[in-house]
Amino acid sequence: MNVYVTGCGVVSSIGLNVDEMYRALLAQKTGIKQGLNDFSTRFKVGEIDLTNQGLIDRFHLRTNGSRTSLLGMAAAKEAFDGHLLSNEIKTGLISGTSVGGMDVSEKEYHNFLKREKHDVSKYKDHPSGTTTEQIAMELGINDFVNTISTACSSAANAIMMGARMLKSGRLDRVVVGGTDSLTKFTISGFRSLMIFDEEWCRPFDETRKGLNLGEGAGFIVLETERSMQISGSSPMARLTGWSNASDAYHQTASSPDGAGAVLSMKQALAVAGLEPNQIDYINAHGTATPNNDLSESTAIKRIFGETPPPFSSTKSYTGHTLAASGGIEAVIAILSLQNGVLFPNLNHQTPIAETGLIPVKNVVLGQSIKHVLSNSFGFGGNNSTIILSAVE
Amino acid sequence: MKYFIKTAASITHQNSFDQENLWKNLTPLSEEHSLQAPDYKVYISPASLRRLSPVLRMGIALAKQCQARIKEEIDAISVGTALGCLADTEKFLVNILTATSDTLSPTAFIQSTHNTIAGQISLELGNHSYNMTHTQNALSFEMALIDAMLCYGDGKQATLVGAADEAIEFLKILQPFVIQDQFPLTSGATLFVLGEKEHTGVCFVDCALMLQNENMEDIIFRFLQKNQLSDHDIDCAFYAGIKTTLNFRESIEFLQYTGLYYSASAFATHMAHDWLIKQGKKYALVINNVCGNQVGLTLLARE
Repeated sequence: MNVYVTGCGVVSSIGLNVDEMYRALLAQKTGIKQGLNDFSTRFKVGEIDLTNQGLIDRFHLRTNGSRTSLLGMAAAKEAFDGHLLSNEIKTGLISGTSVGGMDVSEKEYHNFLKREKHDVSKYKDHPSGTTTEQIAMELGINDFVNTISTACSSAANAIMMGARMLKSGRLDRVVVGGTDSLTKFTISGFRSLMIFDEEWCRPFDETRKGLNLGEGAGFIVLETERSMQISGSSPMARLTGWSNASDAYHQTASSPDGAGAVLSMKQALAVAGLEPNQIDYINAHGTATPNNDLSESTAIKRIFGETPPPFSSTKSYTGHTLAASGGIEAVIAILSLQNGVLFPNLNHQTPIAETGLIPVKNVVLGQSIKHVLSNSFGFGGNNSTIILSAVE
Repeated sequence: MKYFIKTAASITHQNSFDQENLWKNLTPLSEEHSLQAPDYKVYISPASLRRLSPVLRMGIALAKQCQARIKEEIDAISVGTALGCLADTEKFLVNILTATSDTLSPTAFIQSTHNTIAGQISLELGNHSYNMTHTQNALSFEMALIDAMLCYGDGKQATLVGAADEAIEFLKILQPFVIQDQFPLTSGATLFVLGEKEHTGVCFVDCALMLQNENMEDIIFRFLQKNQLSDHDIDCAFYAGIKTTLNFRESIEFLQYTGLYYSASAFATHMAHDWLIKQGKKYALVINNVCGNQVGLTLLARE
């Protein structure tokens, strides 16, 4: 059974919809700049220039919620636009988020600590599951609503779970992806780990120091053939491969040999029935931390040999949007398939000494791209790979 | 399809750990109760133990016990948690909101993400398999179970599946506006291993999640009908949130045993598993309506 992609939507610091993001990618225009909030102002982040009310107005949202919810609604609405709800099509929503409504709770909890007016009703927006319920409400989806929370691989895992729900016949159509807003909690967290670059991040560069955080959401719509016959949707891509494996090495660091990443890429290729040499582009996890990029490069070489396919990390545009990254990068993979274009890895100068791999450094047009592999790795050694393929 | 249970293990406010049958010790929670934790030193090194919160300790100890009880290596892990690692989340929040210097310890942050429970299990077991974390409020366990059923369908021989949640003092402040206060707040974790070989004779038959936009009786009736059953066939219904007027042979409100944590239906399912064995009965149904707007239905059968 084939799994088709029939819609995609995105919000990030490089665009409030797919078209804006595509133009920014082609123009090599990063969204990472000095932060706008009191907790982000000291840092370079991929922040979206709209307040919560701005998001509600811009995207005509009917449901209120945390910023994580609102970003999710905006992207999921674009993805689901033109798809009609029908009793004949069992439709679900599976969203990934790492911190859910933390943007709301960290403010309220601060009031609690300062013994200022403490509005406990605000915490209703806190649970990660609630962010997904609010997005589902906005879309009118109620057959199946689930949330995956595996840190930075959440959206990739939500996409994978969606595909498996379709394959098993439990759903006919599913909106999948992820969302995360910037919070003081995550900025402080990554700083405490000392993998935060105060300058622009440089994925796969020898001088890389760490990541820039970002916020956003990315969703795609998956449908079966049967669902498309009823809905009349036309496919823009196929989801052909997926896998998740554990690195089982360290709670936050990746293993030097990239064991988990090798497993997830290998198994995703097996699910897709593809050989490594059939992959035309790799959208890497590429956070720009010293540890991830070395481990991922090593894993890429173990799977693809000394001359891997063109690869890049688009986190140099968006920042690391955590649980949303797999969703946003799935949309980027689809743009690559649809337009035959390779997107560059910004800020790259010097290859990593140990591996010598050089990412795509400029926009490359006019390529024949049939299969794109996208990696997402999370805390806890949670390694996920999805493969998106052109419609035959 | 039948999804057989190879083993089940729970740490709760009941005397549930390492019991051959839970029903030997189960009583409704009284005024005085606390988490009945095992001696964690048996399962976790002292160095790790010091930095691990209750929810992580429970998850690791249960996973190790489950792995020790089966021959196969666990080949998929699917964990549900409603609120995740609350103790470390709160600890890191306090750290960042009261910090006077720019350097913070990352430990609480590292252990605050929801998937630390499943991630620590993979680390402690040295397990490289599929590793998933579902969080859907009161239906988190059921979501993890559906994923485990998909794994079983894909041919996995030993899927570790369950749920874990921990209570922190702060949750009391949210009562009764955000969290109901009919039952005491508790912590608990339950893990099962699913697989077709060397099982207990009890299996999951179906698990479904419904938005409660119609009459509860109709929802349950249709679910049973889909499984060629009627309410009369259910030997015992373990329910929470709503009492139905359907004609089950017996019914037990489970929150009085589990206390309130949002993945308590996992322990209710363990209760149902052991009940079927002890009573020698055929069908049990777990009706989880802990969150008013949604209901999870889990059907178990003894072969």
